[in-house]
Amino acid sequence: MKAEVGHFLLAVGLLLAVLVGIAGYYYRRSRRTSRTSWEQLLGQLAYVDRNCVERIALDAIDESGQRRKDEAAMELEPDEIWQLIGGLKGVEAVERNSLVFIDMAFYLQRWYPQALVTAEELRLNAREIEWQVSRLRSAEKTGKLAISFASYAQNAVVTYYIMTRRLLALYELGDLSMLVDLQKSI
Amino acid sequence: MHLTGLDLLFWAVGFAGHVILLLVLLARHRARTFPIFTTLIGLDIVRTIALALIQQYGTRAGYFYTYWFLAILDVALQFGVVYEMTSRVFRPLGKWASDVRHGLMWWIIGSIAVAAGLSWLASPPTRLWMQTVMIKGNIFSAALLSELFVGMIALSVTAGLPWKTHVARISQGLGVYSVLTVVLEAARTYFGLRTNSQIYDDLSHVRMGVYLLCVTYWIIMLWRDAPRGREMTEGMRRQLAAINTGAALDLQKLRSRRQP
Repeated sequence: MKAEVGHFLLAVGLLLAVLVGIAGYYYRRSRRTSRTSWEQLLGQLAYVDRNCVERIALDAIDESGQRRKDEAAMELEPDEIWQLIGGLKGVEAVERNSLVFIDMAFYLQRWYPQALVTAEELRLNAREIEWQVSRLRSAEKTGKLAISFASYAQNAVVTYYIMTRRLLALYELGDLSMLVDLQKSI
Repeated sequence: MHLTGLDLLFWAVGFAGHVILLLVLLARHRARTFPIFTTLIGLDIVRTIALALIQQYGTRAGYFYTYWFLAILDVALQFGVVYEMTSRVFRPLGKWASDVRHGLMWWIIGSIAVAAGLSWLASPPTRLWMQTVMIKGNIFSAALLSELFVGMIALSVTAGLPWKTHVARISQGLGVYSVLTVVLEAARTYFGLRTNSQIYDDLSHVRMGVYLLCVTYWIIMLWRDAPRGREMTEGMRRQLAAINTGAALDLQKLRSRRQP
């Protein structure tokens, strides 16, 4: 067998192994998500102090979700935000929960396809949190975490706060027993 | 061109399969949802008829040019189907989801590069340059289609975007066929066309057999209805609309917030 044919077959083998591996991994992941029950989803939520989240979020927005323009707005110092949320680990917990929220929205969407628009908004918010946390990770690597933390973390928490409210509203439309479970968890 | 009994059987079964599939697409109103896929199936029917007629009554050159023109059109439509499926998954609200656009673009660029590299590496032993072009072209399109379908799965799961039943079924069929085509094209490249075309013919028959299984799968799956969701009450509908208005405002506010 010529060397060039050998290289070609090796390349095909590698490509197929990678493709089958990726497809298998994500297929299993998607099956797991679609088979997950409501109780299992709740069990995946990490503990995040609701009062702290609310305090950080309401430093930037008001109760109605409007951006605050008064003098007392945005008065939390970076150190306070850091302590309230529990540092980078706290933001990562917020990120993990936001991913669970996507699955929850997906769960409702399975039974109520009309909820697509709200589910999509929730999904986009969760992705926004992911992006903000990825910025924080980059800042950590470059030693600029202290400068970046307050802004990115507060944005992530505000998004998280809005998401939790929206998800509660979404579930309020459906089954109230679910809502009680969700309120306990987030 | 000499056709064996098996060739004719594949030709007839393929034709019948495509006609049934087209009827299913039309009768079950799937053609409106999947116009490119329906066009692809329609083209396959036209191609079978046209090539049969030219083979019987036309010239060798006429067959050659028709075959290649329709083959290129077929590949273009297959990529069109990938676009159609991608847009069904990644445009949940009628426009491309903002968080997947970049990932999707990079995956497409990477896939083209890998498929081009693979077809460049292939050096099938052939007699004519056209045969080399054909084998390399098949490798390129099969590798690219496989990569795009796998990318779609990975991106949609990462982004949390669900697949509708019929989109998933069409993609599964085309995706599995593309991956198997890569394997078969690799084998055809290994054996080539220089010495003995029997192995090449056998591999072509395996490819056709796999494709017919895909067509059968599509006929069954597209005939069946997708699972129905539960109906929302009018009150729920109104409340959802109110939440969505709030959501749009919230996002606008977030995007205008300060960044370091």
